[in-house]
Amino acid sequence: MRRLTSDKIIGNVANTLIKASVSFRTDQIKRYEAALEAETNMQAKWVLTNILENAKVGDEQKLPLCDDTGIPHVFLEIGDGVSLPAGFLKAVDQGIAQGLQKLPGRPMAVRGNDVERLTQEAGLYSDPEKLIPAPIQVRRLPGEKVKLTVLMLGGGPEIRGKTMRVFHKHSLEVISNEMISWAKEGATLLGCQPCVLAFGIGRTNVEAASLALEAMKDGDLLEQSNLEQYLTDEVNKSNVGPLGVGGSTTALGTFIKVGPQRASGVRVVSLRVGCCFDPRKATYQWSAQDFDQ
Amino acid sequence: MKKVYCPIKGELSLELYEEIEIYGKIFTGRDAVLPKIATLYQEGRLSEFGIDLAGSVIFHTAVSDAGIGPTSSNKFDIESTIPILSKAGVKLHLGKGALKKDTIDALKENQSYFAITPPTSALFSSKILSQRVVAFSDEGIEALHELEVAGIPAIIAAANGKTVFGYL
Repeated sequence: MRRLTSDKIIGNVANTLIKASVSFRTDQIKRYEAALEAETNMQAKWVLTNILENAKVGDEQKLPLCDDTGIPHVFLEIGDGVSLPAGFLKAVDQGIAQGLQKLPGRPMAVRGNDVERLTQEAGLYSDPEKLIPAPIQVRRLPGEKVKLTVLMLGGGPEIRGKTMRVFHKHSLEVISNEMISWAKEGATLLGCQPCVLAFGIGRTNVEAASLALEAMKDGDLLEQSNLEQYLTDEVNKSNVGPLGVGGSTTALGTFIKVGPQRASGVRVVSLRVGCCFDPRKATYQWSAQDFDQ
Repeated sequence: MKKVYCPIKGELSLELYEEIEIYGKIFTGRDAVLPKIATLYQEGRLSEFGIDLAGSVIFHTAVSDAGIGPTSSNKFDIESTIPILSKAGVKLHLGKGALKKDTIDALKENQSYFAITPPTSALFSSKILSQRVVAFSDEGIEALHELEVAGIPAIIAAANGKTVFGYL
């Protein structure tokens, strides 16, 4: 029997955080290579080449892809047939802390009480592991497995994202035009293009933002729906290009997650204008046997 | 590809879109420390802190064990110091993002340049030879650092009154 100990969980989570932070996935590499091939702007090619070289060095030397190592966001998908051991979430938190320590994450947790954290007057912690993760997202899965995905969300995209209602007039065109308008504005100002757009569309602001994170968790740059490809193509007409130097690669791809909707003339859309390393994510999967008591 | 050795002796002559590699000792600073450095210059007190900006390069980045990488140079605390620091002798400001026309004009007046680089921290980490805090150590990762680097890649984004961000 393979009983999963807290130490094992902590190690698995820490390694997943590090993997998300230092390496590109195959879909990212292939998408970048295709963009480099298609790009005719020489400066844009230079930027894309540097980003690919960075991913190679990051993977080989286990160095963070970006010095803004991001805020950890954990996504847990729990099989209906699995019984989690006591202290599981505590071990996940400890795994995140250990991952930040080993990476190392940028020490950017803000000290102090509510007001001090807002004004930053009490300064920062020098320890990377003080950066506590965002509240964990949980979903159900059929069967007997547990999937953990760690996403590392950098700060630049947080300046360019937003969550807001759209009066949809019962038309996909109205909604998609609004999404394109937001995406173009954000992509122009981002700084670290090419961007990866993540949209969640839900009934409430919280649900929409959570769906945008889910879209990032599930998204694959090589598997794009018609709507996703359409949004990417529209944003690429802007000619902003990688790092803003011009060219046809302003957006690498788009991830959209449409949730349940409310009987209403309103849809709540959440957008994250991800940067050139987004989504920084990695997944680890346990099976039921791992958790046997 | 032009190699730029720092500190820079004499005047730089660079073209918009030109690719460069930066070698030698450069400064780093961002939101927290650059306004302080600008104030020190205006008060004539840079030498008290052992800072010589003549022919220098400032990379808009924090410095931590996670590495370095450009922050947005158009944040108020950073962009507002570019004209002052150019006057103080900074020849090359390295960061990312579009700058205002006034800033680009101020760069030209002082024969200074703005270069951009992607946030390729793993690549940068492999090119840092040494690092030390120069001033304002209480700012932690945002303190004024001096790095010795071997070939930081960049592209000229504002030169001679012109910018690559013409679409804005």
